[in-house]
Amino acid sequence: MTSKTKWKPTLILLAFVFPALLFYSIFVLAPSFGGVWYSLTDWNGLNPDYDMVGLGNYVEALTEDRFFLDSIWFTLKYVVFMVVLSNFFAILLAVFIESQKRSKVWFRTIFFMPNMLSLIIGGFMWMFIFTKVLPFIAEHTIFKFLDQSWIGDPKLSFYALLILSLWSGVGYLMVIYIAALQGVPQQLKEAAAIDGANSWQTFRNITMPMIYPALTIGLFVTLNSSFKVFEAVFALTGGGPGRATQVIALNIYEEAFSQSSRYGYASAKAMILFLIVFMITIVQLWIMKKREVEA
Amino acid sequence: MNKLENASDIQLGRRVGSVLIFLFLLLGAVVMLFPIYMGLLNSVKTQSEMLTNILSFPKELQWGNYPSAFKKIHFFRSLGNTIQIAGVGLIGIIVCASLAGYKLSRTKGKLSASLFALFILSMLIPFHSIMITLVKITKQLSIQGSIYGLGMLYIGLGVSMAIFLYHGFVKSIPRDLDEAAIIDGCSEFKLFYAVIFPLLLPVTATIAILNLLWIWNDFLLPLLMLTNSDHYTLLLSTNMLFGEYSNDWSNILASLILAMLPVVIFYLFLQKYILNGIAEGAIKG
Repeated sequence: MTSKTKWKPTLILLAFVFPALLFYSIFVLAPSFGGVWYSLTDWNGLNPDYDMVGLGNYVEALTEDRFFLDSIWFTLKYVVFMVVLSNFFAILLAVFIESQKRSKVWFRTIFFMPNMLSLIIGGFMWMFIFTKVLPFIAEHTIFKFLDQSWIGDPKLSFYALLILSLWSGVGYLMVIYIAALQGVPQQLKEAAAIDGANSWQTFRNITMPMIYPALTIGLFVTLNSSFKVFEAVFALTGGGPGRATQVIALNIYEEAFSQSSRYGYASAKAMILFLIVFMITIVQLWIMKKREVEA
Repeated sequence: MNKLENASDIQLGRRVGSVLIFLFLLLGAVVMLFPIYMGLLNSVKTQSEMLTNILSFPKELQWGNYPSAFKKIHFFRSLGNTIQIAGVGLIGIIVCASLAGYKLSRTKGKLSASLFALFILSMLIPFHSIMITLVKITKQLSIQGSIYGLGMLYIGLGVSMAIFLYHGFVKSIPRDLDEAAIIDGCSEFKLFYAVIFPLLLPVTATIAILNLLWIWNDFLLPLLMLTNSDHYTLLLSTNMLFGEYSNDWSNILASLILAMLPVVIFYLFLQKYILNGIAEGAIKG
């Protein structure tokens, strides 16, 4: 074989991959490595000169920066609620909708609809509900308890945020679970019914085990997306009142673009977010591998 | 006798259960549609009528909020910008990723495997972790503020997931096809666009839908990139209107309805494909 024919497949491979690699290198790889580098500096975004500060930014973010630490705790709380609630409601909806006959398609269409809309639009719509419609209902009907400062009270704004996120996100998970449910063989359920199993037993012993793989997907989809939550908070509360609902992504955004322009310091925070998401993904891959081996 | 009664009891129980489930779903559906319905309802009232009765049907439909919202969010200009950004992004992602995904899937060896791994790796990186340096890079390339520049950013950010989906799909296309075409004297590139690419249509449709929804509804990247309001997308214009007239709800609601109109129409027409695409994208990705 001459060296020319030996190299040909490699050259063709590179030619096919080149356009994708070009965009990918400039807009993903370069900023990733750049981010790691800047996180070790005191760069302020404007001044071309900057100094290395080692891990100083990381130490400051994790020990002195109250707002950043608060945003991590708040995000964690949000993640726990979202992972549990959104998967619970999504499975419930999927099972209920699949049990219906003629109305099935309609319900699926309606429950998925909010997911099609940007959270910015959804957030403004819910802002209207929370600040105008609910107080009005409280004033004119017996539902007096609705008269709350939903956005202004730190405790309640957390629930307002959850309601918006669930409203928007539950349809997406529901579609995943419906797809999984449709994979459960009909004969299995019929066999169980003949053996005298009631609906709950059928669900518990036949349906649930069949949708476990989808559950793994659903859990990690919500884990990943909830850690990165930004737009829902941006539109509904703006992180307020004060900084009560500030999440990690919003804290990074404000550090870099609206408050101090401490780009180096904000980059360190961005790396911390990356490490959190990275660890979750590693655990996810590990669990999926383990499951595949067992199965 | 006893057995029969039992059987009809069970049947009755099933029916009651089914009705209860239906009612539960109906209630849920009302909650899901409530904000949209409220928005629509109050967008055709005057501000003062809205304040006196937010829940009731308007005495007279006030369409006046719409022309003014239409102007304030520069509807056609914003829509045009959004379409251009999504167009550049979508075409770029499909072209780049189908080329790369196909060849990476067909080629064996270390180089191919490591390139594939390199692309997949970025699915672990949250956008918020790279956005700061990304802004700096776009300034250096002087594409910040440009609509086409933003479209190109979406190519870089979206190409990984698309390569992953193409890579998996290509495995289902028999290799004999490639070999036969090459023996017939087809060039590598012609083989791709004349033989392979048409066969990728199902996965291309999935990729197009997923990426279109992502780019269309993305807010943060345009917020960081577009500095001139002439280039604003629908979402940015709506956000700006909200900032300027935060208490003029009838106008804001009309603009929100306008901004969601394209997506809702798209959804109602292509619902089946969208739901399939979402399920596939999630399960394989």
